[in-house]
Amino acid sequence: MAPYLQAQGLEVSFGGLRALQDCSFTIDKGRITCLVGPNGAGKTTIFNAITGFLTPNAGHVAFRGDSLDGLTPQQIVAKGIARTFQNLRLFVDLTALDNVLIGLPAQTGEEPLAAIFRPFHVAAAQRRRRQEAMATLEHVGLADRAHEFVRNLSYGEQKLLTVARVLATGAELILLDEPASGLSAGALDAIMALLRRLQAEGKTLLVVEHNTRVVQKIADDVLFLHQGHLMATGTPEAIISDPALAEIYFGGTI
Amino acid sequence: MDFLLSYLALAEIYVLLGLSTNLLVGIAGIFSVSQAAVFGVGAYIVAQSLMHGVMGFVPAVLVAAVACIVLNILVTLPSLRVSGDYFVVTSFGIQLLATAVFINWTEGTGGANGLPGIPPPDIFGYALETNEQLLMLTTAAVVLGCLVFWLTMHAPFGRLLRAIREDELAVAAAGKGVLRAKVSAAALAGAFAGSAGGLYATFLSFIDPVSFDLDASILLLTMVVVGGARTLPGSILGPFLLLALPQLLTFIDIPTTIAASARQFIYGVLLIAFMLFRPQGIVGEKL
Repeated sequence: MAPYLQAQGLEVSFGGLRALQDCSFTIDKGRITCLVGPNGAGKTTIFNAITGFLTPNAGHVAFRGDSLDGLTPQQIVAKGIARTFQNLRLFVDLTALDNVLIGLPAQTGEEPLAAIFRPFHVAAAQRRRRQEAMATLEHVGLADRAHEFVRNLSYGEQKLLTVARVLATGAELILLDEPASGLSAGALDAIMALLRRLQAEGKTLLVVEHNTRVVQKIADDVLFLHQGHLMATGTPEAIISDPALAEIYFGGTI
Repeated sequence: MDFLLSYLALAEIYVLLGLSTNLLVGIAGIFSVSQAAVFGVGAYIVAQSLMHGVMGFVPAVLVAAVACIVLNILVTLPSLRVSGDYFVVTSFGIQLLATAVFINWTEGTGGANGLPGIPPPDIFGYALETNEQLLMLTTAAVVLGCLVFWLTMHAPFGRLLRAIREDELAVAAAGKGVLRAKVSAAALAGAFAGSAGGLYATFLSFIDPVSFDLDASILLLTMVVVGGARTLPGSILGPFLLLALPQLLTFIDIPTTIAASARQFIYGVLLIAFMLFRPQGIVGEKL
């Protein structure tokens, strides 16, 4: 059987900088895989390559045996893979609820003709969509903030909202770019509990994370990236206790 | 009395243009400075159709609307490749190109002399000649336009466009098609501008390139800024206020030779003042 997500020989260069070199790995269904490594290791580049935001110079990505090569971000979301961004990229002039509604798959009334000629049909469909979006907000604990403009939400709430927006797409493989960075202790616990809950519901998560404590708590598997190379894969214990990797991670000179 | 009626009818025609500009620039964030060119194409198509008796007013406006849908999609297409500031420059070029065509293509547009003697609009053979009748026509058009604007902007389509204005990449990451939504917005804005052109040509019975030049495009943007971006009341208020200005100037005793430049001057001052002190306009949001 084909691996759940398989990346083979990914190469990405930006001008002279080789951001990824011969990266191959697989991700198993239903697990939380953490992608770790120092700044500039290529973690976000891997996200961009998987989700169609950049085309690798070489290599392939396949999801459940289907090739993702050459697909647009939109087509990849339709296949069931969605991602968040390190800098959130929320729609700050929209409400929390509207941000989640944007994530919900194709809706009637997204075309002007339907909006003009079938207004009642569109309104009825929107009421159902709103309920779905509310349920998603409830799921991440933001139901009481639904009608607040995003710019008025705290940073922790905004991070939860990015998760709500990817959940709304219905994706089963979710890529989270530093969901825990910059959070207070309370918000950190909330997001870790949320990730565990998503896993229990059958989602598969690939998470970029810097905080080793968080990695130890949530990761089933760890991919260790350094200067575009995949240096090691294994359990969090094995990776964290490896002195060579710790040396790289905490200010090594390799 | 006639004075008031013609002011109202003209303002209503500009409301349609305000809706067109607000949809494209305010809501979708496609910063076009060539909406007057599209407006002009609609006006010339309807004028020529009626002057040569090719078809009646209603089919002519439909043809103009379809032509302007296609045209507006074409002129908006660069915004899919170049973003923000760069598109403004591209759009500026399109406007200059259109003005050059309007002035020089004498057979089609009458050149700088314009097209005089455009017949009044007719509704299936019944000519609307009095100002009251014309006002009823423009009122009907503006009510329809506002309804379409309201329905589309309160539907998921409107939300999608607002999201695109904020962050196209995030919209793509949410699995939505940016291209399709932008093309739809351009089409809708084109239909508004084309219909407005048809009404304008038949209402004034004379058109010339000055009505469709860069100044006119900037006037449309000023209307959106002053009225308020992204809202229906803003799109209505802006044209009514700014078109009242030349009427008010006629009450002040200034030589007619400087009236036009005084008007431009005041429009410019208003645009700057609103951007600095009230960027959300009177009843809208920040552009």
